[in-house]
Amino acid sequence: MDGFNLPVLLALVAVAGLLVWRRANTLTWLLFSWGALWAFFKYGFTVPIPQSVATIYLGITTLALVCFASSSRQRLAEVTSPIVRLIREPRYKLPLAALLVALPALAAYNVYADMNVPLEAPGFGREVHPSPNPTITVHGETIDMATADNPYTHLHEDDPEAYEEHLENGRRVYYENCFWCHGDGMGGDGMFAHGLNPVPSNFNDSGTLPILQSSFVHWRIALGGPGLPEGGTPWDSAMPAWEKFLTTEEMWDVNLFIYDFNGFEPRALGQH
Amino acid sequence: MAAHSIRTVAAVAAAFLAAPLAAQVDLGTEEQRAAGKIVYDKYCGQCHGDTGDGNGYATPRVQPKPRDFTTGKYKFRTTPNGMLPTDDDLRRVIEIGAPYTSMPGWPNLTSAEIDNVIYYIKFFSPDFENPDRYGEPIDIPRPLESTEESIARGRVVYEEQGCAACHGEVGRGDGPSAPTLVDDAGDHIKAADLTQRWTYRGGPTKEDIYRTFSTGLNGTPMPSYADSLEVEDRQHLVNYVYSLGDGDDPGYGTLITAVYSEEALDLQDAEALDALFENTPMTRFPLVGQITEPGRNFYPSVTSIEAQAVYNRDEIAFRVSWHDLRADNTGRNNPSLEVPMWNEDNGIGGDDGGDDDGGFFGVEEDSGNDGDFFGVEEEEPQDDAGFFGVETADDSGDDFFGTDDDFFGGGDTGGDGAEFSDAVALQFPASLAPEDKPQLKPYFLFGDSQNPVDLWFVNLTYGVADTFRGRGSDAIEPTEADIVEAVTSYDQGKWTVTYKRRRASRAGVSFAEEQYTPVAFSVWDGFNRERGNKRALSSWFYVYTEPSVEQTATIPVLRAAFLVLVIELLVVFLVRRRAGQDAAGKNTGGEAITATEAPAV
Repeated sequence: MDGFNLPVLLALVAVAGLLVWRRANTLTWLLFSWGALWAFFKYGFTVPIPQSVATIYLGITTLALVCFASSSRQRLAEVTSPIVRLIREPRYKLPLAALLVALPALAAYNVYADMNVPLEAPGFGREVHPSPNPTITVHGETIDMATADNPYTHLHEDDPEAYEEHLENGRRVYYENCFWCHGDGMGGDGMFAHGLNPVPSNFNDSGTLPILQSSFVHWRIALGGPGLPEGGTPWDSAMPAWEKFLTTEEMWDVNLFIYDFNGFEPRALGQH
Repeated sequence: MAAHSIRTVAAVAAAFLAAPLAAQVDLGTEEQRAAGKIVYDKYCGQCHGDTGDGNGYATPRVQPKPRDFTTGKYKFRTTPNGMLPTDDDLRRVIEIGAPYTSMPGWPNLTSAEIDNVIYYIKFFSPDFENPDRYGEPIDIPRPLESTEESIARGRVVYEEQGCAACHGEVGRGDGPSAPTLVDDAGDHIKAADLTQRWTYRGGPTKEDIYRTFSTGLNGTPMPSYADSLEVEDRQHLVNYVYSLGDGDDPGYGTLITAVYSEEALDLQDAEALDALFENTPMTRFPLVGQITEPGRNFYPSVTSIEAQAVYNRDEIAFRVSWHDLRADNTGRNNPSLEVPMWNEDNGIGGDDGGDDDGGFFGVEEDSGNDGDFFGVEEEEPQDDAGFFGVETADDSGDDFFGTDDDFFGGGDTGGDGAEFSDAVALQFPASLAPEDKPQLKPYFLFGDSQNPVDLWFVNLTYGVADTFRGRGSDAIEPTEADIVEAVTSYDQGKWTVTYKRRRASRAGVSFAEEQYTPVAFSVWDGFNRERGNKRALSSWFYVYTEPSVEQTATIPVLRAAFLVLVIELLVVFLVRRRAGQDAAGKNTGGEAITATEAPAV
């Protein structure tokens, strides 16, 4: 249940149980279903989900509930009759009056709240791992993104000593150049990270390095922010085009090192 | 490994000989140190050096320098001046790091891993085998309440003890001695900016502050006041220092709100201008070193900038301010000033390995002379003025700086003014993003060939604004399309620059109401030899020009409420009418409610 807000889920289940016990009518169930889903989206996750996603789901839910309610004459009557009774029967005069006041007040409050959100800088979506072109050019050399691989990976098996040397060289390159942003422990939390937007990649994250081929990582290292397609907002990225500073070997070495440090393997070639 | 066992034996022997303090000598077991070495080699060696000498791959490019563990000197301790830290002191720094330095916290390490790495670190210095070097941790009393009297008394202590000599009259780290301060390794070291508590290396709490001046920071000019100040006076001083800061957190923002004013924006009328900005919201933005392009700045002096904006019918004014330990207003500077290629400029060649050559325990020889070091430099009960005077006269401008490090080359520490002046620039896109691509911006590093930026640059030697158009760091040209005016002032360690321009521009961006305009900042500290692309910078943020007529929520709120009410009444009316018709139609029905029964609401 990681990622879910357990008390909220339990509360919803409890209310549902109460409704079963009290043999709630269809209208109550419909209102509960909608309300429960709203509460689930808003409070059910430890990390909030985007408002737009919640809105889409709630829209679909509304449609589904309307379809359900109007699926037969009898069900429609079941749903509408409590409303009709509320409007017509004199004994509900007070609740009706309260409702007539409460709904406009709620609408008014919503508008007021909407108009008083603290100002924020406009935010724009950005592709985190945009697709590269089929080939890239680094130091004048054309690299086929689909087939290129780290030329030193094989040394792991073939020449462990040489492999260690490449790793150590990668370590040097990383701590001479990368840790200001990507962090000493590679958590994307280096001493300059707080001043950058987008924030530097977190290499500890199992959703980053392992899902990328080493050629992709080479592309990002070699051509940096300026080499991103428009969807990756190249104008904001502080990632240097490292081909300006490093040799091709140094770039592959640091590529090797960041995988090794985090105990990850690049996604294999041809894997999609 | 022979050296290793000899040292262990020595340690054990020392432990037995020095009975009263023996309990404090704890270097762990061989297994623990071996486990510590694994952690150290992975996470620590790249800065502190694989041999613990503070000379790792990153060392030439960070400031302050990583601790040299072979010296046994530690800044952040609960033990008296000159003594070794306790294990808990070491643990604290490993866990939370030292803010605004290259030492991060290591929350991912387990408690056992930290224990082991502490044993391993202690083994780098023979001092940890010497029971005489251990001291009882000081008592840190509960902080006194920050009353006015206590703060006032603290201010008196601050003046009497000469704190202002380094930390400045109002605590901005700009005292007359500040530019000349060096640590034991001869590197320049900044006096803390007491107004920015979040940058305190030793932590922001009152207890942290008390600890810092009760124990001193070994190896730096910050002395201990344990002998010269009564406990109570130290507590008052804590309250005074604490009162200088405006929060534990910088509260960095992402947006400047430009507010409308009916007033004229007259840059020459300083008083009116100050009054105007007094009531204008201020946003603080983080600055970091420009390390993306050649001319890299690995240790910028300035870490944040505050910005405000006001506009009237025709003009818009921006005010920015930041702290700088000295006004460098005699040198030269401009955004396209050439900086040597980064690796020459920052004192490291591509082949400088710092490789693990000398064997791991080779450090022993180097650290043999630590005893005298402490004797001379540290145990003096320091009297500030004299202490600093001596240090600086000897050290500044000398060979530490000369070598291959650009940080303090030449005469910049001398006091007669730097080769490069302080400077600041606001950066705006030359045009707003097209409507179909609202996210489009120029490259944040002085623009790019397709999307240029405009720079409002002020060289503080001249104090006037020059405008540049940037199409990338290597394509910056003066432009005179718009007239930007500026006034500047330097007061107690704080630069303030106020700009003004017409809102409508002939060639650049115009500031319309309710518009979000990207803005970025650059700051150059001449003292730190910053010029051209070697600067502190921000990423893109925004200025929002607030509407001149305040929008009230009343009308939209009433409209929404009224609309809902009308719909409700309509529904009620229709349902009741229908019920009435039903009743009229089925007069025979027993259950139906007649129209007369349904009361009007």
